[in-house]
Amino acid sequence: MTLTSSNSTDGVPSSEGAAQAVPGKRFASPFAVQTPAGAEGWQSMYPYYALLSDERREFEDGKFWFFDGMHNPEPLYPFDTIMTENWWVAASQMSTRVWPVPPAGGIDHRIINGYLYISPNAVTDPDEVAQRAQEFAVRAGHYYENWDEIYEQWVAKATDCIERLKAIRFAPLPGMEPESSVFEHRGVYSTYDLLTSYGALIENLFEMGSYHFEMLNLGYGAYLTFREFCQAAFPGISDQTIASMVSGIDILLFRPDDEVRGLAKLAVELELSDIVLGNDDPDATLNAIAAHPNGSQWISAFEKAKDPWFWFSTGAGYTHSDRAWIDDLRLPFSAMRGYVQALLAGEDIRRPLDEILAERVRVTAEYRSYLPTDADRESFDGLVELARQVFPFVENHNFYVEHWHHSLFWSKVRELGDVFVAHDFLDDREDVFYLHRNEIYSALYDLNIGWATGTEARGVTYWRPEVERRKRIREVLKANPPLPALGIPPEFITEPLTVMLWGITQESVQEWLGVDGQDGGELRGVAASAGKATGRARVIIDPEQLHEVEDGDILVCRITAPSWAPVFSRLSAAVSDVGGIMAHTAIVCREYGLPAVVGTGFATTSIRTGQLIEVDGNTGVVRVLEDVSA
Amino acid sequence: MTTATASPFVLWIDEPEAVGSKLLGGKFASLAEMTAGGFAVPGGFGITTTAYRYFLESAGLAERARQVRAEAVGADLARVQEISAEFTAAIEAAPLPADLEAAVRSAYAELERRTGREGLPVAVRSSGESEDLAGASFAGQYDTFLWIRGAEDVLKHVRSCWAGMFGAAVLTYRPDADPAAVAVDHGICVGVQQMVEARSAGVMFTLDPVTGDRSKVVIEGCWGLGEGVVSGGVTPSRYVVDKVTFEVLKRDVAHQEQQYSFDPAIAAVGLVPVAAELCAAPCLDDVQIHALAELAKRIERHRGAPQDIEWAVSATGDVHVLQVRPETVWSHRQAEQLVTEKKSAVSHVLARFAGVGVVQGGNRAS
Repeated sequence: MTLTSSNSTDGVPSSEGAAQAVPGKRFASPFAVQTPAGAEGWQSMYPYYALLSDERREFEDGKFWFFDGMHNPEPLYPFDTIMTENWWVAASQMSTRVWPVPPAGGIDHRIINGYLYISPNAVTDPDEVAQRAQEFAVRAGHYYENWDEIYEQWVAKATDCIERLKAIRFAPLPGMEPESSVFEHRGVYSTYDLLTSYGALIENLFEMGSYHFEMLNLGYGAYLTFREFCQAAFPGISDQTIASMVSGIDILLFRPDDEVRGLAKLAVELELSDIVLGNDDPDATLNAIAAHPNGSQWISAFEKAKDPWFWFSTGAGYTHSDRAWIDDLRLPFSAMRGYVQALLAGEDIRRPLDEILAERVRVTAEYRSYLPTDADRESFDGLVELARQVFPFVENHNFYVEHWHHSLFWSKVRELGDVFVAHDFLDDREDVFYLHRNEIYSALYDLNIGWATGTEARGVTYWRPEVERRKRIREVLKANPPLPALGIPPEFITEPLTVMLWGITQESVQEWLGVDGQDGGELRGVAASAGKATGRARVIIDPEQLHEVEDGDILVCRITAPSWAPVFSRLSAAVSDVGGIMAHTAIVCREYGLPAVVGTGFATTSIRTGQLIEVDGNTGVVRVLEDVSA
Repeated sequence: MTTATASPFVLWIDEPEAVGSKLLGGKFASLAEMTAGGFAVPGGFGITTTAYRYFLESAGLAERARQVRAEAVGADLARVQEISAEFTAAIEAAPLPADLEAAVRSAYAELERRTGREGLPVAVRSSGESEDLAGASFAGQYDTFLWIRGAEDVLKHVRSCWAGMFGAAVLTYRPDADPAAVAVDHGICVGVQQMVEARSAGVMFTLDPVTGDRSKVVIEGCWGLGEGVVSGGVTPSRYVVDKVTFEVLKRDVAHQEQQYSFDPAIAAVGLVPVAAELCAAPCLDDVQIHALAELAKRIERHRGAPQDIEWAVSATGDVHVLQVRPETVWSHRQAEQLVTEKKSAVSHVLARFAGVGVVQGGNRAS
């Protein structure tokens, strides 16, 4: 491709002279990435500070950048950058200003061809690390010593934040201001309410976004320390075994699926099985149940389960296209049909909690018995206890933040989209996501001007063509998958979040350096869940495609979400491009006993649906055994 | 000569009195114990230390045996070899008492009857009194003869085992650096045991012999008889199994072109080519690895300490225990503490954030 955006007037840096990838040595410079034909001008969808620039070129060119496909597998929608921008500050400030974490700096972000690349910073000066360690010991020590109490407060803050989010409403401006505004002498009117509601919505996201990281690094740190101890004491012990010693059995991420199991059981008890099994369409199912004499009891149980448990995202929760169960009931209802069939066949569909707990006790006690000295056993006891103490937060924050809050947040933005549709700015509520959050502020003011003056707002003719242009650009970007990494690989990767969340390790970077994205025969990743399986690949890019999954398929995806769990029972294994041992999915995958390899970098781009592949969850290797038959 | 009360010449490993009997030597007493514990040990009997001493006495060699041992202590190697050769020849030439010969013939016939196989192939191997007692294995010092068939051949190899007690290497093997221990009149039992016609075989440890990590079972195996692994003549495949979860953590599958098996051409065990389709294939499947690791764990529990186990998988896939003995390296070593220092969990975690690893030398990129 020769087309580059090199004219100087648009402020886009030139790719001339930018370093190319050298296999085994370095990745391509971020400046060498070419804009695909038809996507020129993509930069205008994103804030100026998230783009590469000539002025910061030396700094940006010298760093290691990796694609954050875990949170944002697709090109970012302009509005959805709010999520990445949130943690750009919220996660970074914990490491740099709040604790500070002695060797870790903040995490830089850049958007390149619409994809998010991130680059963690490290503090390397030993004196500075030592100085930060003193401060850190006092501040982080306070959190560890009071963990349970602080976690309880955290749950209260998160719940309150969600309640306030629920209360935010968006409605089109009225033809006439209601009488109450006049007779109660309010002095401010619907235009003001629209702006302040939007302000409250954005602040609410940043509030929850801040809570998200309040305890997260500390939680991961306690777990990582335990993990490091286990790896030294029992060389080669698998990550899933270490996790199994601390992970909870009643974590919130399992609750939605448990609710579905409960509804299936109730449907059988109330003799509604035929209705559930006889309808593919959730609305038809609900109507038929409502018409049944026993239906009202089931419907009220369903309504109760739905809030909050169906605010369960089918993705990582970071983009509006990750729809929640509550938006699209097909996923939970198809799972429910499976459970009803299992019940009718006389199976016990309850999760064997007692067995899981007994196994956790056995495994922990047995490893302990193999330690060499009393001092080691004491340290093991302390570390496993601390890891178990922090784990409820580590595991449950996902439900509060990414699922419940974020799903609700996206639904509120859609409500706002309806306002723009009502005022003739947009054709479809979904188009609101093609505006950056700061552009929405302007658009709302524009809308208020039009309403106040009675003349046509500029937005009525401005936004439709602009949204169309952005849609076309985004489609082009989406068809051009990103490279997993750019820039100069680091000598060491020690930053805990990088390792635990993204699965980026020295090994995976080396792997990417060698593979360079083109070799389809064998892929290596992180062994996230033990076992070995062979089956037909099913490449899923969009959660919408989940219904295509057939029994025995091996799921191949950028990243899975915990809410995909109901289809897990049909799979024989799972493979993802991104993710580490503590990625949202890894937790659920292990629980479902599904062989899984995560963080392969290239699975969705090198494997095709229908290929026969072998997944080895013990070694982290994925092999293509047989190509798609013609 | 033997009466009901006298010490027996032959003791079957499935007899109750065989368990822990000194008459069987270390190796065979352990197998008797394993048999009693319900483990799959191939059937067989021991020609006891009593039989060995009776033979020496009858042949008038007992006194000379003591002299040979004493002379070997401190002698130079050439001299040791000289007296070894001279005395070994004396043993080979000495007559076998008729009652002892009859006892061995009758026991072999009984083994044939029990297995329903005339001319049953057996393994004939030495089992020394001193093996486990000295805290060292005497590994590789005593003789093992495989695929021996017929009473005549069994008798011949029993005598070879006895002679082997006076090999130069045995006479000079001093694991505990105590010359007196070597000079002592160690008895020997000769075990006669049904051959397992192994599809694959090898050894396994109930700890990682390299790191001493007790949470692992390390299995080494090859196609054919385990002699290749034991003698080092065949590079084995290696499997590291997590003892708690039975996950196979590491597999190093070796390419194997030759295996030890019964070779009809020479009517003995020898190196024969591995079937072409098996050369690159793993000698154990996952089910067998799991079964072996579970077996290792049960044996360790049964014996109360880390073990070194010889095993074989038969053509039908059954797993057999051929030999067990206590692991001798790590079990005698002072346990080394892993953690850098004893401190609270929170202090460990805070230090980890500051770049100080929780374990010795543990400050590494994960």
